[in-house]
Amino acid sequence: MRLYEFESKQLFENFKIPVSKRFIAKTSDEVYGFVENMAGSVVLKSQVLTGGRGKAGGIKFADGANEARTKARELLQMKINGYAVNSVLIELKLTVKKEYYVGVTLDRANYKIVIIASGEGGVDIEKTAVDHPEKIFKKSLSIKENLYSFDALLLAKKIGIPQPLLKESAYIIINLFELFKNYDAKLVEINPLVLTNDDKLIAADSRVSLDDDAVFRHVDLKEMGIETRHEEGEMTPRERQAYEWGIPYLDLDGDIGMFPGGAGFGIMGNDFIHYFGGKPANFMDSGGGPAPERIAKMLVLLDENPNVKAIFGARFGGISRCDDFAKGVIMFLKEHGLSKPMVMRMTGNMWQEGVRMFEEAKKENPELFEHIEFHGIETPIEEIAKRAVELAKEERGQ
Amino acid sequence: MAILCDKNSKVMVQGITGGAGKFHTERMLAYGTNIVGGTSPGKGGQTVSGKPVFDTVVECVEATQADVSVIFLPARFVKEAAIEAIRAGIKFIVAIPEHIPIHDMLYVREEAVKAKATVIGGNTAGVMTPGEANLGIMPDIAFAPGRVGTVSRSGSITYYVADTLTRTGFGESTCVGLGGDPVLGSTFDEILWKFEEDEKTKAVVMCGEIGGVYEECATETIRKMKTPVLAMIGGIYAPPGKRMGHAGAIVEGKMGTAKEKLDILAAAGAHPCRTFLDIPETLKKLGV
Repeated sequence: MRLYEFESKQLFENFKIPVSKRFIAKTSDEVYGFVENMAGSVVLKSQVLTGGRGKAGGIKFADGANEARTKARELLQMKINGYAVNSVLIELKLTVKKEYYVGVTLDRANYKIVIIASGEGGVDIEKTAVDHPEKIFKKSLSIKENLYSFDALLLAKKIGIPQPLLKESAYIIINLFELFKNYDAKLVEINPLVLTNDDKLIAADSRVSLDDDAVFRHVDLKEMGIETRHEEGEMTPRERQAYEWGIPYLDLDGDIGMFPGGAGFGIMGNDFIHYFGGKPANFMDSGGGPAPERIAKMLVLLDENPNVKAIFGARFGGISRCDDFAKGVIMFLKEHGLSKPMVMRMTGNMWQEGVRMFEEAKKENPELFEHIEFHGIETPIEEIAKRAVELAKEERGQ
Repeated sequence: MAILCDKNSKVMVQGITGGAGKFHTERMLAYGTNIVGGTSPGKGGQTVSGKPVFDTVVECVEATQADVSVIFLPARFVKEAAIEAIRAGIKFIVAIPEHIPIHDMLYVREEAVKAKATVIGGNTAGVMTPGEANLGIMPDIAFAPGRVGTVSRSGSITYYVADTLTRTGFGESTCVGLGGDPVLGSTFDEILWKFEEDEKTKAVVMCGEIGGVYEECATETIRKMKTPVLAMIGGIYAPPGKRMGHAGAIVEGKMGTAKEKLDILAAAGAHPCRTFLDIPETLKKLGV
């Protein structure tokens, strides 16, 4: 879960990492109100859950309340990498003598926590790592180890923090590390850590990304107004519907509706469709052990999507059982009805039960099944994918 | 021989009295897995499918000599459960649940490495040695004893690969579900090396997907292996910056694209496959 800058700065403040006094505004008039009472030039920063906002024009400077209002209005109408700007953070403009980088992140391959520091702040650290690896300094620790102040001091020295500020900067690094551990973070970053003309260190920008799966144990976040959010840019109406139903779903630009089991084949099945000359209309994942209601909703999403010409169904029951799957499909057919051709394969745990349920339902209401071509384990999944591509072609009248 | 588990493994289930625990204990037993008991704090003295339930792992190990544990508990309890098992002397642990907190897995990994124990998962379908032991939730119908090992981040991909190997007569030595969570108990290279040392395994199919770094980390091991490795990576056509189901499956910047992973693996000597049907074709060419 990525946090907005204003949220992560709140956390920084709680961990005694120096940040500027700041205001958050949702309208340009609010901006005017705050800036009126601020002495000096201000910086207006669009609050979006994506990087590269500076390059995209999402940060503006202003002298005085009038200019700030005008510029805030521009920002609040912007979209940055597909993210709408809904709020603006206002701070006094800093006088910059030097910029550093300090971050803490996970080294997943080695199961370590890594503290990263560089004397080159304010730029993309991944780019620095590639172009000038000698300018990056790291300290790897296991989850059980502490970051000692002498290690933090050494890092601070290596990146060239001036002597009088060494101790303070070491505490900034240690506190950032503590924040990382306390909040189950995946990444915490100060970029840049600014040395001002009057020799103060200030975290000018902040990035915090927390582990969604651990948010449950940080109830104080909710009290701060920080809640789980959808992060991957703006959703299409169908993606929003799926999100509300708790179904991982993405709209893609093809015409084959993808109705797979788990995420793994959800991802690879899309590749298969491409290999066989088709294009998927979506990505979808039923999640582990879906209830029949969720299965039915997955089909509603596809059937009501006008772009979908044919549906590719694949169920290999593991934790998601075929009987629950069949129940969901039958529920959909009875309550909603299928208006598009669907080819599907079902096998795995409880497949006999699933097949029996389909046969019974078909005996009762054969008309509900007229658009479905059903296969079991004897047919390779590749044949099903090819057939889906064919069906979509037929529907397009080619 | 097989890797990680066989018919002699003494398997216990942590969370044996829960809904999923009960259901899959029954299934694993029906497959012939040597389940010896399980735990559920506060429910010691009960039985599930005729097997004794204990309050703690230590007691279970003492009474049954269990040496493998399968965890069917909510994700938030996995850290404690896995560490409990490791400290009780269990050397192989399968963590089925998904969404285990990342920092928890770092603790589990530390403990496991120290005790020379192997942890698989989270978000895994389990580990299956066909004809001998089924640990987890994998559907029996896909599997048959044979000579190809498989290791995959995804459950459903494991099933499709095994299904293909079974249909084409190769069969499987052991199938390992590495797991779909972002930080896993074991890595591709560790499992690949176990297959390399297994006499019965004549080739390994490794299936990865977009996101993360575990596939890339396998290259050195693949270079050292004599056993041929076939590689599939899901997400060649995945849109960048979008999370696709698995928490780990997201292309971040230039990192972790499927194309790049496949290229890196191929450069290390793995044989790339696009669809499951490419697997038997490649195996035939390799004379497996």
